[in-house]
Amino acid sequence: MSKPIRFVLPLVFFLGLTFFLFQGLFSDPRERDAQTLEKPMPAFSLPDLMDPTTLHTESVFLGEVTLLNVWGVWCVTCKVELPYLTSLRKEGKRIVGLYYDQDLDPDFGTKTLQRVQQEVLSTTDSLGDPFVFNIFDVYRDTSLDLGVTGAPETLLIDQNGIIRVHHIGDVNPRVWEQKFAKLYNELVTNTQNGVKD
Amino acid sequence: MASRNVLLIILPLCLLGMLFTSAVHASRDEYKFATEQQRQDFKKLTATLRCPMCQNQNIADSDAMIAHDMRRKVYQLITEGQTSDQVIDFMKTRYGDFVYYQPPVTKTTIWLWLLPIVVLFVGAYLVFTRKPSTPVTQDESAALAKAEALLEEDK
Repeated sequence: MSKPIRFVLPLVFFLGLTFFLFQGLFSDPRERDAQTLEKPMPAFSLPDLMDPTTLHTESVFLGEVTLLNVWGVWCVTCKVELPYLTSLRKEGKRIVGLYYDQDLDPDFGTKTLQRVQQEVLSTTDSLGDPFVFNIFDVYRDTSLDLGVTGAPETLLIDQNGIIRVHHIGDVNPRVWEQKFAKLYNELVTNTQNGVKD
Repeated sequence: MASRNVLLIILPLCLLGMLFTSAVHASRDEYKFATEQQRQDFKKLTATLRCPMCQNQNIADSDAMIAHDMRRKVYQLITEGQTSDQVIDFMKTRYGDFVYYQPPVTKTTIWLWLLPIVVLFVGAYLVFTRKPSTPVTQDESAALAKAEALLEEDK
């Protein structure tokens, strides 16, 4: 084997490996493509958190562009984003909460509904209430169907009930601008035009 | 001496106690199955499904809430009579290929299987095409002979 190849081959190999590993330093192992995108909202029938006699189904997302916020009072980041979400509501955006409780273990459940409602009310009273209503995901089945791994997560659902954005983590002005704003405005314009037609 | 006797009694008791704690831990999450097959399926599935929240833990080992919920779902699906493949598909449509430890063969992942073979062939090529080391020149062989002679003398 000639001298240059002997020198170049390991160098190329080394540089390739360095590049590959260097990239790994900046990649987020938790980041994965949501499987729910461009799919309709999974079917569900769940009680309203504040009025359990009312049942919500996936049809509550039809006809209006909606933000679905998966949250719980036990989740600190959810509390952080509540004021911002509230300001979004004041701008006229429709935000629905998908509430699930961590302490409420379906296998060993102990907490009363009154207790949960009380916790939610005291939180929204002090930090702002962005929600039109909250769907209570009692057994966390719908969260599982949505591929939710934790809270908070926020989904943008279009007027046909199709999931268009699935954001993991809190929503803040920067995230809103980057991931939601453009599509949201587009969808809202389309819906309004659709109504006119 | 008395204290030593006490120790001799306590120590085996402690060991016995450890035995029991592990047994209690194992049965903490015990689900009831109609058939042995279902129990085996459950065991296998929870060991091969990966917790999407935690880094590299299967849902059998993880204590994250999502792992609890996924175990409950696996149990529910199995008792409903679904096959292992159906359960895996159910999880994959929600959490992606990530959720199953056996990656599917795709355009990107094919390298996981091809690369070792490529490396093997490159290595084989390098080994078999290697030229024998260059023959020693006249001067060197003379010097070598001299060195050998010196070494002989030292003996």
